[in-house]
Amino acid sequence: MMSPPKKDNVFRALDRKLGAVAEFTMRQYRTKLSTWVILGVGFIAIFIVVLFYVDSMQQEIEAIDNDGDSMDWDGDGYPTGQERIYGTDPDNPESHPGTFSPPIAPDPPEKWINEDDFDWDLSARGDTTVGYDDDGDCRLADSTQSQKDNNRNNVECDIILDYDEMRGEWSEPNSDRLVDEDPDEEKYAKEAIHRAFLLAIGKMGFVFLLGIFLPLFLATGLIREEMDNSTMHFMLAKPIARRDIFLGRIVGYLGIVWPYVIAMGLIVGLISGFAGPSDGFFRFADLGMWMAIIFATMLATLVYGMLFCALGTLWKHGIVLALPFAAWELGMAILSFNAPSASILRFSVIGWSLNIIDAASLVVWPNMNLFINMGLWGGGHGDGGWWGNSLEGADALSAFASDTGLGISPIATIVVSTFVLLFQALILWLIGSAIFKGKEIE
Amino acid sequence: MMPDLQQVGEGQTQQWAPNTTVPVVLLENVSKTYGKIHALSEITLALSGGVTGILGSNGAGKSTLFNLLMGKLKPSSGTVKLFGTDPWKNPAPYARIGFVPEHEKMHDWMTAHGFVSLFARLNGLTREEAKTEADRVLNFVGLTDVAHKQLGRYSKGMRQRVKIAHALVNDPELIVLDEPLQGCDPLARTTIMNVIRELGKMGRTVLVSSHILHEIERITEQIVILHNGRLLALGNLHAIREKMDNIPHTISIGCENPKELAKDIINNDAVYGISFPSGNNLQIQTHNLNEVHRELPALIVNNGHKVSSIDNPDDDLESILKYLTGGLAR
Repeated sequence: MMSPPKKDNVFRALDRKLGAVAEFTMRQYRTKLSTWVILGVGFIAIFIVVLFYVDSMQQEIEAIDNDGDSMDWDGDGYPTGQERIYGTDPDNPESHPGTFSPPIAPDPPEKWINEDDFDWDLSARGDTTVGYDDDGDCRLADSTQSQKDNNRNNVECDIILDYDEMRGEWSEPNSDRLVDEDPDEEKYAKEAIHRAFLLAIGKMGFVFLLGIFLPLFLATGLIREEMDNSTMHFMLAKPIARRDIFLGRIVGYLGIVWPYVIAMGLIVGLISGFAGPSDGFFRFADLGMWMAIIFATMLATLVYGMLFCALGTLWKHGIVLALPFAAWELGMAILSFNAPSASILRFSVIGWSLNIIDAASLVVWPNMNLFINMGLWGGGHGDGGWWGNSLEGADALSAFASDTGLGISPIATIVVSTFVLLFQALILWLIGSAIFKGKEIE
Repeated sequence: MMPDLQQVGEGQTQQWAPNTTVPVVLLENVSKTYGKIHALSEITLALSGGVTGILGSNGAGKSTLFNLLMGKLKPSSGTVKLFGTDPWKNPAPYARIGFVPEHEKMHDWMTAHGFVSLFARLNGLTREEAKTEADRVLNFVGLTDVAHKQLGRYSKGMRQRVKIAHALVNDPELIVLDEPLQGCDPLARTTIMNVIRELGKMGRTVLVSSHILHEIERITEQIVILHNGRLLALGNLHAIREKMDNIPHTISIGCENPKELAKDIINNDAVYGISFPSGNNLQIQTHNLNEVHRELPALIVNNGHKVSSIDNPDDDLESILKYLTGGLAR
């Protein structure tokens, strides 16, 4: 009575049993109030953090005259920096560029605040020296050669910054006199806070919060609830292997969770792209970061989904078994900020997921480490300097950014981490379906 | 280890061909124990074709037996084979089996048509094939009119019919129904019984469990009786009944004038006792049920008695069990 089946391609074949289980799972989740509550809570949690971020982007950051050269100590109307450039005596009211022929008009004092921008660039200046004397006060004609090169590397007006491969640390910046001594706090802080926000929400908000809690609440019951409700009987009475039921349920769960993660990533990405500091109207380069954050979160929800579904199948109160895992992963996440190359991180899911985000940050922002070090150095006014502080935002960025810890290039790190996570998912699928296959169901 | 892209179930079922030389259902020395509790003990059974009623009181092991057949439980010892294949290890036989679980929980948010067509796809049908098939089976159980209503709004009998419909997808050769009549209204009962009889006539092997003898009696004569996890009897219900004719039975007759009727009946040799539980009711004690039933209609008609009902209150599973176990049943 049934016509013989048409020749199947892979998609037609998948559309049959596996597709049916997945589609059923998605429709089932859509009818459950709890699904929407969980997704809604996730949205609210992420959105509150975004509000704080948007607020911080709106705040004015006070520009600090780190080197004091906007002051007019001698009261002649010319700021110290301007007098220094023209070689007049900043402490003598009779000596100023106004006496030149033709006379030079005095600069407004603001011009001598933040006059050094921030512009460390490793690639342009070789491997070990950075910095650029934007305001020209290092290259003054009357400076001696030893003043222009007091870090003695035979390059005038630069900063020595070495990276110790063995220890994985950057050296203390060793600066020539008056190079980058008054960086632009606002410009730095906005950029640093923006990057710190992306890393923080990507790592803790997306990979950790969404990556663990969505599977915790949505995947733990994938098999277990059907077993407890005895609706599993309908599925088990069909010619489909339990391993495929397990996989189909996971695919259905991902059919809910992945679009949600992608949508959340795009929404937050758009908001931060418009609100963040940029030359144009939108930070297009950040899209690479958002792709990495979304991708890492998708992989995390896949692996944790397999894990928690297996735990739920194993025991009625599988969520109790899942919670220690969540705690372990939180510990690993915190550890990854401080010791990104700790080998214990290899025994976690989140360590590999965060690797993807860290690696992407190095691709999207190639000068990341220089940028952090410059902020921590704070124009030479860091430890023991006048202001005793690194630039605003530098500490936050330094806390959330970490090396990938694998010691290979960022792209290779992304590839390796992806394969490891997929491998973890595969193993957990096999373990989970083996547990399911051994279960007697009544 | 990869997902089964051909989607024909585990166990290389593309090549899986049912073994036609073995019984559809075969159990050999099957036992299922939970700790010290023996849910099933040493069941040996082979069934092929026709409708078989699995009778047993609650807890006799009917559901355990079905769960073993449906690969949800692993036998503690012995072998279970469906079409020659072990269902615990390989779900392939379910391509030719329909199962109606006892459990009442269903996916209430689905429509009957959605439910049936979705599970039809698990039989390996495409979306379109599944829809056509769902139409067919829902029509078979008489639910075409309400097929697009949500299951949550169905009556119990209708839900039971949806479960049967879902089991009939792909025209299975073996249909297993666990207590399909439980809790149904009389109309639904009749419909379901007709469906089961129809399946039997179509040459399918059907297993129906029940704890009520009358229900099974209206469906089939071939019965298996389970008691405390043991196979107590297997065979034709009438043959078992015949043997019971020599033990005391009660017949209850509702009529207008019990005393007059009693006078006429007491003359029958098979009757050894009469009582009057109420003003329009008469109870007869007999050790030969068949003979009394043979005489009774003529006696009533000839003497002009007005009779409203004739019942055999102890002609039920309990008394059969009592007889078969020699009075050891509860």
